[in-house]
Amino acid sequence: MNLKGLLNSTTIADRILLFILILLSLSGIIFIKEVLPKGHIVWIEVNGHPVYLLPIEKDRIVSVNGSEGNTIVEIKNHKVRITESPCDNKLCIQQGWIEKGSIVCLPNRVVVIVGTPEDELNKRVDAITG
Amino acid sequence: MKNKFNVHPPQRTKFNVLIFIFLLFTVHYSLFTLYGCASQKENVYRKSKILMDTLVTITVVSSSKDSAEKAIDTAFSEIEKLEKLFNFFSPESELSLINKNAGISEVKVSQDTLDILDKTLYVSEKTEGAFDATIGPVITLYDFYKKVKPEDSSIKKKLSLVNYRYLMIDRNKSTAFLKKRGMHIDLGGISKGYAADKAVETLKRNRIHSGLVSVAGDIKAFGLKPDGRPWKIGIRNPRAKGQEDDIMATIELTDTAISTSGDYERSFINDGKRYHHLLNPRTGYPAEGCQSVSIITKECAFTDAFATGIFILGPEKGIKTLEKMGFDGVIVDSQGKVHTTPHIRGKVEFKRSS
Amino acid sequence: MQSQDKYRIALLSAYALALHGFESLLPTPIPWLRLGLANIITLTTLILYGIRAALMVTLIRVVLASLFTGTFLGPAFILSLGGGVISTLSMGIVSSLMPRLFGPVGLSLIGALFHNSAQLFLAYVIFIQRIEAILFISPVIIFLGTLTGSVNGIVSDMLIKNLKKADEKIQN
Repeated sequence: MNLKGLLNSTTIADRILLFILILLSLSGIIFIKEVLPKGHIVWIEVNGHPVYLLPIEKDRIVSVNGSEGNTIVEIKNHKVRITESPCDNKLCIQQGWIEKGSIVCLPNRVVVIVGTPEDELNKRVDAITG
Repeated sequence: MKNKFNVHPPQRTKFNVLIFIFLLFTVHYSLFTLYGCASQKENVYRKSKILMDTLVTITVVSSSKDSAEKAIDTAFSEIEKLEKLFNFFSPESELSLINKNAGISEVKVSQDTLDILDKTLYVSEKTEGAFDATIGPVITLYDFYKKVKPEDSSIKKKLSLVNYRYLMIDRNKSTAFLKKRGMHIDLGGISKGYAADKAVETLKRNRIHSGLVSVAGDIKAFGLKPDGRPWKIGIRNPRAKGQEDDIMATIELTDTAISTSGDYERSFINDGKRYHHLLNPRTGYPAEGCQSVSIITKECAFTDAFATGIFILGPEKGIKTLEKMGFDGVIVDSQGKVHTTPHIRGKVEFKRSS
Repeated sequence: MQSQDKYRIALLSAYALALHGFESLLPTPIPWLRLGLANIITLTTLILYGIRAALMVTLIRVVLASLFTGTFLGPAFILSLGGGVISTLSMGIVSSLMPRLFGPVGLSLIGALFHNSAQLFLAYVIFIQRIEAILFISPVIIFLGTLTGSVNGIVSDMLIKNLKKADEKIQN
């Protein structure tokens, strides 16, 4: 079996078809890789359990039942904030609107993360100290 | 001749067919393994939970989602167990029992409590008392949420109760005892790191060979990421502006822990002076001389405790102590100047100040 | 159909079944994705004996394989049948409409493409009613199908040449 024999046994149409199929499928793979992760998701977790997975494109207000009471999370114009919280220090409310990253309310055990799971994992750093 | 001709070719055909089948399987099998590698590759799984009054994030590398999540949940429950033992505010914790019986009687404690107390005493000795877990009575005078600075006289009164030498532990009887009435141990400066160590042990016992545990800023990394690289840790800029995570340097770690103590964590500003939670056990006031201290060594209990201790010792004495211990460290002094131990140069990548 | 052809169809079906069985022994990362080794036999049959014989071989293989593994009329059978029939038909139609345009490699590529497309469609209808998941996976599967398809085509080509050679020698 040699390469020349192999080339001779294929027609021009065979080779064009092979080329087109590889080109189309590879560009499809690249296209999907490029397009898919952009849809940001708002994850809301209570005590480590996800309670909401919301698209950031859609404006809405949700109430999350944490360990001390209800935390109100607002999604608007591709941004997220906590508007009401039963906690004492209200640090989560002070953090204001976020487009990326997370808001953590320690007393009420509520974590709001914006991004895709891939985003979270492909961050520049794996963890931050300090 | 003709007869021979009739016999031979079909045999050769059989031989050729065998070669085809062999070729077919080699080619297909190599394609298949390639594909198999691509889809059964190891993935990174991450889960966060609020424990020990902070955000605990565990990241593991595994080829199965189920075993990854199971290992993470087991590690979370290990931290929960430690949280129950070391909680300063819970009256049932072993720590509270020791505190309640200060100056009264010895208290029988579990192996974990004994271990962590042993480690606090070790760090206290090595830092000449700069790290001191018996700082409890003084630290309770400060309220960092309400931004209350205590009276000088009340600090002075409580300062006589701060001395790690009054904490006695007996390994044979598994007991701990505080000699003076009114003494308090606060394990806040070491328990997060200790918990990270224990969580990593738990993950390893659950056959996870690579991962990252971060209990707030106390981080322990082991193994490598699926791309074969070590874990990349960012060190927070102590004078960050805004809410974004502002990083001053990054370092790649494996089978190592890192912790950072900073004057920005729990702090308030009163009359232009910054009051933070890293109190000097000699004076009862926040230590001056550093903005942040990051320590790197194998055990996270030590990085956690030494970060506090070295912060209180200050940059010059701190670097000397680290060199003596064989630990690595990055210190930002009060002027914003960066000091490092010699070994770490080249391993830490500093970002240009923006 | 001559009795010799019947004998050949039976033999080819047996080969196809053996390859099909061998392939199912290999652990696959995605349950309904196959290397399509049996397609070598289908394609060879198609070129040597025509579309009717090829369809016959495919049907015999799919039905017998599912009977052996106990998945007859189950979801896996429907996927296997749909993929097999569509891919055989597509190769047959292309080769009868444009007989000289494509060689075995080209036909094998067409077969692989239609096999995968049919299975993706059926998987969407039967199992995964999430179009984004199907869209996400399609290019990858079609790419891998193109690779395995071209290898299968080359093997079929060699098989056909050798069978023809052997045939000529025997007839001489």
